[in-house]
Order: sequence, then C-alpha cells, then structure tokens
Amino acid sequence: MVTYIVRRLLTAALILLGASFLVYLLTAASGDPLEEYRAINAANKQQLMDARTELLQLDVPPPLRYFKWLGGAAQCLVPFAGTCDLGKNIVGQPVTDALGHALVQTLTLVTGATVLAILIGITLGIITALRQYSALDYGVTFMAFLFFSLPIFWVAVLLKEFGAIGFNNFLRNPEIPLATAIGIGLVLGAVIAVAVGGELKRRVLAGGVVFLFVAAILIYFSATEWFKTPGLGPVLIAIAGVGLAFAVTLLTAGLKNRKALQSSLIAVGVGVVLYFVVQPLLDQATFLMIVLLGVATVLVGLGIGYLVGGYDRGQSMRAAAITSFLVGFMVLLDRFMQAWPSYFNNSRVRGRPIATIGASTPNIEGDFWVLGLDTFTHLILPTLALILISLASYTRFTRASMLEIMNMDYIRTARAKGLTERTVVMRHAFRNALIPIATIVAFDIGGLIGGAVITESVFSVRGMGFLFLDGISHVDPNPVMGVFLCVAITAMVFNLIADLAYSALDPRVRVKA
Amino acid sequence: MRFGRISKAVGVAAAAALALSACAGNSGGSTPSSAAAAAKSGGSATVVEVNAFNTFNPNTADGNTDINSKVSYATHSGFFYIDNKLNVVRNEKFGKMEKVSDNPLTVKYTINDGVKWSDGTPVSAADLVLQWAAFSGYYNDADAEGKKGTTYFSYAGDPTGLALTDFPELGDDNRSITLKYSKPFADWEIALGGPGIDIPAHVLAKKAGLADAKAFVDMIKGMPRGDAKSPKPANKQLKAMADMWNTGFDTKTLPADPSLFLSNGPYVVKAMNQDQSLTMVKNKDYNWGPEAKLDEITVRYIGEAPAQVQALKNGEADIIAPQASADTVEQLKALESQGVTVEVGNQLSYDHIDLNYSGPFADKNVREAFMKTVPRKDIVDKIVKKLDENAKPLDSQLFVPDQAKYADSVKDNGSSAYQDVDIEGAKKLLNGATPSVRIMYNKDNPNRVDAFSLIRESAGKAGFKVVDGGLGKSDWGKALGDGSYDATIFGWINSGVGVSGVPQIFKSGNDSNFNKFSDPEADKLMEELIVTTDKAKQDDLIQQIDKKIWASAYGLPLFQAVGVDAYSDRITGVKYMPNQTGVWWNFWEWAQK
Repeated sequence: MVTYIVRRLLTAALILLGASFLVYLLTAASGDPLEEYRAINAANKQQLMDARTELLQLDVPPPLRYFKWLGGAAQCLVPFAGTCDLGKNIVGQPVTDALGHALVQTLTLVTGATVLAILIGITLGIITALRQYSALDYGVTFMAFLFFSLPIFWVAVLLKEFGAIGFNNFLRNPEIPLATAIGIGLVLGAVIAVAVGGELKRRVLAGGVVFLFVAAILIYFSATEWFKTPGLGPVLIAIAGVGLAFAVTLLTAGLKNRKALQSSLIAVGVGVVLYFVVQPLLDQATFLMIVLLGVATVLVGLGIGYLVGGYDRGQSMRAAAITSFLVGFMVLLDRFMQAWPSYFNNSRVRGRPIATIGASTPNIEGDFWVLGLDTFTHLILPTLALILISLASYTRFTRASMLEIMNMDYIRTARAKGLTERTVVMRHAFRNALIPIATIVAFDIGGLIGGAVITESVFSVRGMGFLFLDGISHVDPNPVMGVFLCVAITAMVFNLIADLAYSALDPRVRVKA
Repeated sequence: MRFGRISKAVGVAAAAALALSACAGNSGGSTPSSAAAAAKSGGSATVVEVNAFNTFNPNTADGNTDINSKVSYATHSGFFYIDNKLNVVRNEKFGKMEKVSDNPLTVKYTINDGVKWSDGTPVSAADLVLQWAAFSGYYNDADAEGKKGTTYFSYAGDPTGLALTDFPELGDDNRSITLKYSKPFADWEIALGGPGIDIPAHVLAKKAGLADAKAFVDMIKGMPRGDAKSPKPANKQLKAMADMWNTGFDTKTLPADPSLFLSNGPYVVKAMNQDQSLTMVKNKDYNWGPEAKLDEITVRYIGEAPAQVQALKNGEADIIAPQASADTVEQLKALESQGVTVEVGNQLSYDHIDLNYSGPFADKNVREAFMKTVPRKDIVDKIVKKLDENAKPLDSQLFVPDQAKYADSVKDNGSSAYQDVDIEGAKKLLNGATPSVRIMYNKDNPNRVDAFSLIRESAGKAGFKVVDGGLGKSDWGKALGDGSYDATIFGWINSGVGVSGVPQIFKSGNDSNFNKFSDPEADKLMEELIVTTDKAKQDDLIQQIDKKIWASAYGLPLFQAVGVDAYSDRITGVKYMPNQTGVWWNFWEWAQK
C-alpha cells in the first residue's frame, strides 16, 4: 500500500514537471507580450518595451525562463519557510497573493454548486433507476441532457435576465395574477402526476392535490405579499416537520419501526419549542454559533433517539438526529426570512436583491443574517447555472450503476428472503451503487478549481479562471503557471484519493504494490 | 400504552408552542436596518470599470492602467484638467500655472494657500518637485543596456519635455516652483502639475527615513543631473524614495496606513474589496476646484460587456462604458425604454491605411491611384455604421472631429479628393500598369479583415493585384516597418491634447514612421511645432503639416473607433468623453436624481 502511494506520488511529480514545462513554453509562445506597445506613437515607446521586457524577463529564452521560474516554485516545497516565489504578474502583484485570493473566490462559487449537484444528481439517478422507462425517467433524462448540452454562458445570461432582472422587477410589486397562479399549479400538478407513477387514479389524485396546494399557496403569497415579508413561522415548521419526520423515518427505518417514528416526532416537537427559545440567541448570531447550534441539534436528536430506545436504538437515533437537523435547518431558514425585509430595503440593495455579478454588494453593512442573505443572493444564480449543467453526468452515472446493481443476484436473494423493498434499495443496492460514483465525485472535486472559467467571467467573479485568462491574454506565463500548478496538483491528489477510496470501498479491488 | 402517552406529550408541547406563537406574534428578532445609517444628502453612484484597481500611483510603468488613473483623477487635483472637447482647462482655485517668459520658456506653478492633503499637510512645492523628479528622469544615469547606473523612478510617461528643465526654483513660502526649459517645449501646459498631484512628498520622505519633505528637497537640490556616460553609485535615500514611488503604493486592499492613500481632490478612497469594488467618499476639506455633488462613488469591476449591460439593467450599476460592439450598442438601446441614456461617440484611436514610400508605391501616381480606390465610405458603412449611425470617414491625419480645428483643416487638406471611389481616375493614373501590392494587417481583428477585403475588391477593379499579407495577432506588430509589405492597415491613437506625438509618426527617420514618409518641409514645420508654445500657432502648424501629408499621398485615415457609455435614470450629469479618461472627466457633475 505505502509503496503504491509512493510510486504514484513519484509519477505524479514527474508528470507535473513535464506538463508544467510544456504549459510554460506554450504560454510563452502564444503571442507577443509587447503587442500593446508596437503601434503607439509615444516617444518613450522603447522605454516602455524595456520595462515590460524586464518585468517578464523577455530577454531570457522561454526554456531558460522556465527553469528560473521552477527555481522559485521549488521553494514552495520548503514548508513554513515563506520563500514561495511563483513570480509576479503583469501589474507587479506576486502570483502567490493573486492565487490565494482567486482560490477563495472560486471555491465560494463552486463548492455549494458541486455539493448540491452531487446530492440532487444522485437522488434523481436513484429515483429514475427505480422507475426505469417510466415517464419520469424519460423526463429526467431529457432535461438532464438538455441542460448538459446548453452552453453555460447562455444559461447564465438567461438566468440573469429572468432569475435576477425579471424576479427583481416582480418583487417591486409581488402580485401573482390568478391565471398565473393556476397556470403554475397546473404545470406542477401535471409534472407530479407524471412523476408519481402507478395507476391512473392515483396519478390524477396526486396531481390534483399538488395543483390545488400550489395554486392556493401562490394566491396566499400574492394576497399577503409574502415575497416582501417572507417567513415560515412555527406553525408551518411544525406541519412540515411532521411531514419530514415521516419521510425520514420511512427512509431510515421504515414506518413499521414505531419507536423511530416516535423519536422523530418528538424531535419535531422539541424543535418547535426550541424555536422560541433560540430566537433571542439567533439575533446575535455568528457563523460559529450557527455551526455549534447545528451540532447541538444533531446531538439533541441522538439523545431523543437514545432515550426512546426500542429494540434497534441505532435506527431511532439516526431518524431523530436527521429529523431534528432538518427542523433546525427550517428554523434557520425562517430566521433568514425574517431578515429579508431589512435586507430588501437596505439602501445598498434598493429593493433589487438578486444580483447578476460579483460575490457581495459593495459596502453593505448589517448583521450576520443580512450579510448571509447578501451572499445567498449573489451566489444563487451561478450556483444554479453550475448545477444545471453538471447534473446530467451524476444522474446518468447513478442511474446506470443503480440499474446494474438492481439486477444482481444478491438483490434477488435479498428479496427472496423477504426483506422489505426499502431495505433492499437503501441498504443493499444504494450503498453498492455509490462505489463507482465515489470515484467520479473525487475526479470532479479535482477538476473543480479550474472548471468554472466561463461561469466566473460571466458572473464577473475574479477567481482562478480570470487569473488564467488574464495571464493568457497578456502572454504572461506566471499567473497561468500558478493556476496550472493548483489545478494539476488537486487533480492528481484527488485521482490518487479516488483510486484509494475505490479499493477501500470495494473489497474486491486491492491495490497491488 | 407508552407510545400513546409520549405522543400526547409531544402533542401538548407542540400545541403549547403554537399557542405561544400566537401570543408572541412575530416574535422573531428584528434585524436593525442599516438603511438609516447611510446619509443620503448627496446620493451615490456605482460606476463599472473593466480592470481592477491595483495601485495608488498610476504613473509607473506597471501601474498606468485606465482604472488606476481614473481613481487617482477623482482623488487628486492639480493645475488643470482636460474637458471633452479636448481643451486644457485651468483650475485656478487650486493654483496658478503661468508662462512667465517665452525665452527661455519659464513656467511658474503656484499652489494656493489652504490646499492640503487629507492628513492636513499643505500641498507644497515639495510635492511638485517630487513629481518633477519622477517625470523628468533628471537623476537617472543608467546606460542603454541597463547594466550600470541607476534608473530611479520608473515613469510610464514621456520624459522628453521635462528633461529640458533644470532643478526648479522654489519660492512663495514653499508654495511655488519655477521651471526653466533649455529650449521651448510645445506641451509645457500638460507636462507637470495635473490633472492630479498624486504622490505626497512628505509621506515618501518619511518612509525613506528622511525627516520631512524639506529634507527631501534639500537632498536632491544638491544632486547633479544623472549622466548615463559616467554613472555614479546610487543615492540610497533617493533610491529608497523611488522604490517606494515605484511599488510602495501597489495594493489591492485598503492599506492600514492611511498615509498611503492621501487625497487632495474631491474624493477620498474609503473602502476596497479586492478585485470586486472600490468606494470613494467626499473629501470634506476640499474646496479648491469644481465641487462634487455625489457623496459616494463606488467602482465595480466587470470584464464582460454583456455582464455590464445586465448589471445596469438590474440596477447594480449606474454608469457603464463597455467595449463598444454592435451587440452591446443594440442591447443598450433596448434599455432606453427603462430610462437608460446611451451615448455613442468617437474615440481617439483610428484605423488607417499607410502606403510605403518604396516598392510599387515609390511612384506617387501609384499611391494616388491606390488611394482613389480605397472605399472609405463602404468601410465605414460596414464596420462602424452599425454602432454609430452618424459615423463618417476620418478626413484628417492629425485632427479628430472633437477638436475645434478639425473642420478647418479638412476643408483644404486635400482629403476632398478621396471622398468617393474613383476607379476611372485610378486607371488613368496607373496608365495600364497592374502593380502587385502586399497589404499587411492583423488578421485576428475582424474590423481590419473587413477593411482589407473591401479595399482588395475595389483596388482590383482598377488593376491592382492585391496580395493578402495578413498576419496573426502576435506577429503583425513586429512586422511594422520591416519592409515585408507595401501597405498596412492598423490603428494609431491620437493623443487628443499635446503635439509631441506628431513627429513620432511623421518626421523623417523616427521610430514610429513605419512607411518612411519624408518631406523636408514637413520636417521643418514639425521642428517648429514642437518648440511652439502657443496653442493657436500649434494648430496652424499642424494644419499645414496635415496638408503636406495628404499632398504627398501618404495613405488614408479610415475611421475612428466608436465608444459608448450608458447611465441609468438615477443619475444625471454624465457626458461622453473621447479620451481614455472616459466618463470620469466630469465626475464632479454627476448627481443623483
């Protein structure tokens, strides 16, 4: 095992060296760094060219320049020495500084999107696999491929036009005409009717209920101007919580396990009571406090499950913990919604909350909730765009892998010995289906840093992609190499992790030293 | 039954909770509204720029990007600024800049009493001396290879004018300096002291370990002019100051030390968000120049033109000036219905075709014949009309329409002969010859490709055999002037203000005279031009030079690049400006409705 890792790391280092040499030469040969000075009529033209030549060391041939750069870069390997030198970019900023900032920008942009895309993608994949060749399956496949084949800059522009500009215009006077409310209800009802499956009667019933529910909600929202002063309130949290408690129990333990259901319901009750207790506390919220509260909700859930017990204490604890975490999340959501009016009317926001560019409103002031909303309104569109286009691969992979597993002999055996469908799907099939997905996820995380170049530039986020493009356009290899190093190293590390994870997850695969 | 009991308990608890909620009403914490905190007397505006701010010293070779200059312009003042008619406008409230004598050219700069930096220190002669030392390169003694000697200040501008001066004379209680030029210099008016005096000498002196600005002046007073032939060891303190000047003001975040971003202009920088935005607020001491209306200006950086347009549409930006393209202009025009004002105008850069005075074009008749075939109107129609309906071909090699003298010059410079394509006339001049000419251009620039295709088609009709000599983006610049082509299509940037650029392109043997135009009379006029200090006389001379250039069948200016700016209905006072200052030129007139 250790020899295997060492061997992999050595190869990786060699590949990195070779690739960086190639990338450096290609960048250096990609254009004329002095182009902007060629056709100017200033008397000090030569002087300007000399200054640029000195800055980029253009008098040294690129292969030699590479080794100079490598010399600086090699110092990054010395830990804590602070001698890391990746050169300077064209405005004289050290590349290490620029990278540090760009990395944060990119990660803020892509992390949420990737996590959500994985979660949603896997869920959809499993559902479509279980309903193979149903209308739902075809629908999801169609949508996934549709989004997959859309160019992201176009999706982004559309999202900005309708999701930001259109929605903000709507918020000015959030009235939903009756016809629109009914229309939206009809569409969603139809989607649900198709998705539910089963007999016609069941489909029509489900679709009808959803239609009525959605239309009623929209009319209610319109009448109360809910979009201006949104909120859940304890009543809605309680109702939704009970629904969640049933759903979570269904998935984790099965509704037959009354103890688990009981603990989940108790968790909801405790959550609703705590809703009032924590409000004053939440007014002074900090990020750390929210994290601690999150941990606390899980612990409370575990505690409830433990106390209620039953013959399978673990299942009760799991169900209660997940339920209480979700209820906690709803309380959090509610608190954010309470802060909405003050964010909406903030003099910096001026009633147009959803942003099309950047990562925050300049100079915005406010408490944790207002700033949190600000981040949310800025990230929602790029996140949505990234999710839409990356959903396809996750759904398709999960679906294929799940289908393969569902046809395995041991699944038939499991069914034959009388296990419930839930146990077969959740415990025997799902877990094994995740093994190939794990490797894809690892690859994707490796490609995450360099993978959002276009999204970054459309949403005007100056992250790694901007650094890269800017370097290329100025024929300045230093920032390009900085980005290359980061991307290449993460890609290689995660490749290695993917391989190791595979062997750890699947006992049939063993790394051979 | 246990389950029942617990269920009941949960039910009771939940019911109690709901009852509580009914009593409490909206008991959720109230988020304090920060809206009240921001004063609204003068309002605010958000301006979009393409590049991100990176230094408080926009004069260095690495720092002289548009955005740095614009921020410096808004936060500093000086003896003059340039308006959108490309006139130099004096700011007498800041101080007086006067030509004391013509022979030798002597200019006296006096800063008014009460003009001060935002830390309270008066703006003094020392600040002017520092700018002079940096802009003139007086102390540099590095030889051409840069191996020996020292280059102190890495100044991006042209030092030729101030290099003619000696160490200035200080006076008026340390508020004035007097510069004496060893020979007259045409652009003396814009050589020093504006539009902003941006680097405070007292700060630089302290950082370099000197006691104060006076110590700095005393120190460099005694130093001789640098001589590249006999380099001396570097003066350590001046070197320290110069290094500070070169890189010490580079930053992407607001420095903790406020002395690094002192203002002496209408605004002072208040906040910076790396690569995202920069915010300026009113400098409350400022009363020595045009008074600004807005309380706060925020600059946001957006690279892409469509993103800028959507930001304007969504109210995130109030003023934008994106790179003009047909799509962008169309998108902006569509916003006019929601109150956006779009201004389209000319920029100072212009495309032109130059004919080499060698090869097939050595014969003036051939040059003239070729010029007769250039379809300038078609080129304008095809390339610029879709952006600017009023676009016309540029008819002067030296003036642009925004300058008052343009109309006058165009009348008699001979451009009228080349208004329309004259194939017959060209054929007559060619007299049956079919010269083969190679045209070089940047084939990665679609506008140049279009211009080339139209010219090739039209010239072919008159008998020219046009060879496509287009080169890629990274090669065409290097090929300029190397004799591998007979004609070339590319762009110059008219300086708008100042005449030093003229001889660079048109004087015999100069660096940027790529087609080897040479006219002894024009040379003489240009020699006179660069020592003429009177604006009206300069204009007369340029007009004569313009005529000479046209008369010798030099080539043709084609069209000016189009610029666009747009602003929302929240804002008034924005006016189009052709030079690189852009909409910022009159930022003090911006107001919120």
